[in-house]
Amino acid sequence: MSASGTRPARTAAVFLLPFFLVFGVFTVYPLILSAILAVQQTHGPEYATFVGIDNFAALARDADFHKAVRNTIVYTLGSVFIQLPLALGLAMLLNRPGLTGRGVYRLIFFSPQLMGLVFVAMLAALVFESRTGMLNIALDRTIGRVIDPGTLLFWIPALENIDWPAFPWLQTFIMPMLIIASLWMYVGYNMVYFLAALQNIDRSLIEASAVDGAGPLTRFWHVTLPAIRPVGSFVVLLSVIGSLQLFELPYIILEQSGGPQNRGLTIVMYLYQSGFESGDLGYASAIGWVLALMLIVLALGQIWIMRREDR
Amino acid sequence: MAKSHRFAGVGSDALSPGSALIALCAVVSGVAVLLMPIKREPGLELWMFSPEHKQFYPDAAERWREQTGTRVNIRLFGIPALKRRMMGGFFAGVETADLIEGERQMVGAAFAGPVESIGFLDLTERIESEGLHERINPASFTPWMSRGRYFGLPHDVHPVLLGYRADIVEAAGIDMSRIETWEDFRRELAPLMADNDGDGSPDRYLLSFWESQEDNLEVLLLQGGGSMFDAEGRCTLASETNVDVLAEIISWCVGDDRFCIEINEWTSTGHAEKIDGLAIGYLMPDWMCGIWLTQIPQLAGKVKLMPLPAFEPGGRRTSVRGGSMMGIPKTSDNIEDAWAFAKELYLSRDLARRLFETTGIVTPVTELWDDPVFDEPQAYFSDQATGRLYIQQAPDVPARYASPYYRNAQLALRSAATSVAELARSRGLSSPDELRPLAAAALAAEQRSIDALLDRNAFLAESSP
Repeated sequence: MSASGTRPARTAAVFLLPFFLVFGVFTVYPLILSAILAVQQTHGPEYATFVGIDNFAALARDADFHKAVRNTIVYTLGSVFIQLPLALGLAMLLNRPGLTGRGVYRLIFFSPQLMGLVFVAMLAALVFESRTGMLNIALDRTIGRVIDPGTLLFWIPALENIDWPAFPWLQTFIMPMLIIASLWMYVGYNMVYFLAALQNIDRSLIEASAVDGAGPLTRFWHVTLPAIRPVGSFVVLLSVIGSLQLFELPYIILEQSGGPQNRGLTIVMYLYQSGFESGDLGYASAIGWVLALMLIVLALGQIWIMRREDR
Repeated sequence: MAKSHRFAGVGSDALSPGSALIALCAVVSGVAVLLMPIKREPGLELWMFSPEHKQFYPDAAERWREQTGTRVNIRLFGIPALKRRMMGGFFAGVETADLIEGERQMVGAAFAGPVESIGFLDLTERIESEGLHERINPASFTPWMSRGRYFGLPHDVHPVLLGYRADIVEAAGIDMSRIETWEDFRRELAPLMADNDGDGSPDRYLLSFWESQEDNLEVLLLQGGGSMFDAEGRCTLASETNVDVLAEIISWCVGDDRFCIEINEWTSTGHAEKIDGLAIGYLMPDWMCGIWLTQIPQLAGKVKLMPLPAFEPGGRRTSVRGGSMMGIPKTSDNIEDAWAFAKELYLSRDLARRLFETTGIVTPVTELWDDPVFDEPQAYFSDQATGRLYIQQAPDVPARYASPYYRNAQLALRSAATSVAELARSRGLSSPDELRPLAAAALAAEQRSIDALLDRNAFLAESSP
């Protein structure tokens, strides 16, 4: 090896060392430790007893964990199938040619992100209150009193029997409430991604398809959607991962619990409760590994789907 | 080429000025952090969570310094922050404070491991040898005991009375002294539930209580003779008494004859509804009096207190809610000073008076209950001597037993209650007899989940008495 050959290698090693040090201390070591903890029952770091796969077996029987998984999946589906289409719809509205004040609208829709999740959660807790919450008051004054079912094209009779001022969002309809609250937070955020993707579509493609006689729906389905698919896939993946890690929103709105009958309990909340409230870091680690496994499977699944479509 | 070569080496001439500055900052700050001594202020360190208690502790600390020369440094935390610091210190075995004033929900977490892992000093010998267990109301000790040992000095009794809108009740000519049971309460106050504005629902409800309010569920459960844990730490959620009480109190919240309504106890919207008189009665622990006094001044002179109506004639007329204790972490270097100050704070007549005057809280020290301060009329409560009213019920306060899973059980009780109420509404059931099978099934399911937690905890089983 010549001097000129060893020097860059040594330099690279020196520059990589801090990364490996930080990665080792803050990622690899906790990962190994959490794997060890997952087969132990603990009370803090000092008291631990080996329990083998008992933590995982207990999770398989644990009704609260099952509920947390179900709730998290419901929220994830709500994010992907309600939040993202709304974000795309908003982005398409803002992408209309000749729209004035695009920047202002973009700021308005994005602004909940600037306030932060904690603030949004605290406001949402007030908005969804029974009887005094803004949403129930609004529903009562519209659906409850003003709208005459006889004037509408269709009507759901069950809506007539609902006591709108007392509608129990925070007791019975917790997951719908969380999905609605998260729309406020994340629709504008995802809209920015979609808007950037839409603005990068070659306009000549859309104009050519219009000249060829394609209507708005056909143009959206065959031109716009394929063009933004890479960004769309990325946003879906981010949204799924973020949804599976849901914690702060229900934690704050439901006052540090999973809500009545654990209707708002999520996987990460249950992990937190087990590890940091009940003090069983072993059980919390087992939950963490199950969550990691779910994330890995989902990410691999999405990569597989994207590759198959690319072919 | 020359430019890229600058980044290839690590010599002094190889780093750009910015990189060199960052590296220098990293090295200097790292060394500074390593060498900087952790300075602790001299004297005792007291960690607490209650802003209400903090109103008069600094004066007490100052007097203590004058008497003994020992300074007390008081730090106020939110409950979650205090719990995390406390448990972090206990888990790691590092120094926390000399005294921790803990609240019921946070202290239970310290009891989850083997008895030797409990971070609080075992005070059993001190409390027994100094006769404190005879001077303090017995029910005040139980939340701070684990496996038969005392780990805290009780701060309070927290009896619960019924607060009611005397202005509305008296204007309607209702005599509250005729009420002995909840059935009497419902019958005598029924005229107040009239629908005068014609909107199809009562203008007022009789009691601020709802199936989703876990604290008030526990209050009524305890009043009715129920419990969540027994003295040995076993979960008792599905007991027959609990089933009966739950069926009874959920019947108050469902059906056309319901007389309860959910009013938020803490928010401004909830306070506005109290001022409007949406509910007549409120479950009021002594500490709640202090909170109403400062947060709802509009109700001054309009509220009175009376013993809770009993579940049956001759039954218990009070319950209990909340509670605090003073514990001494084992890692304290000043255990004897800390113990002396804890006793001064909790046992002295002067501070018991100030505690009542500032917060409305009644001392658990029975020999101080004869103090004239408790007989002083309170203008806010229509000149009633509220201290005396609470003290009259204090000996009858039910015992509550500690568990690391206390909070889990409280939330499980709420889940059972909401489940029963929702099933009752969907099936059109409302009488206690109809609700009893639902309550039994819901409580049994919740007890199974708590039992699973207890069974999984190998440490508790190992060190049970």
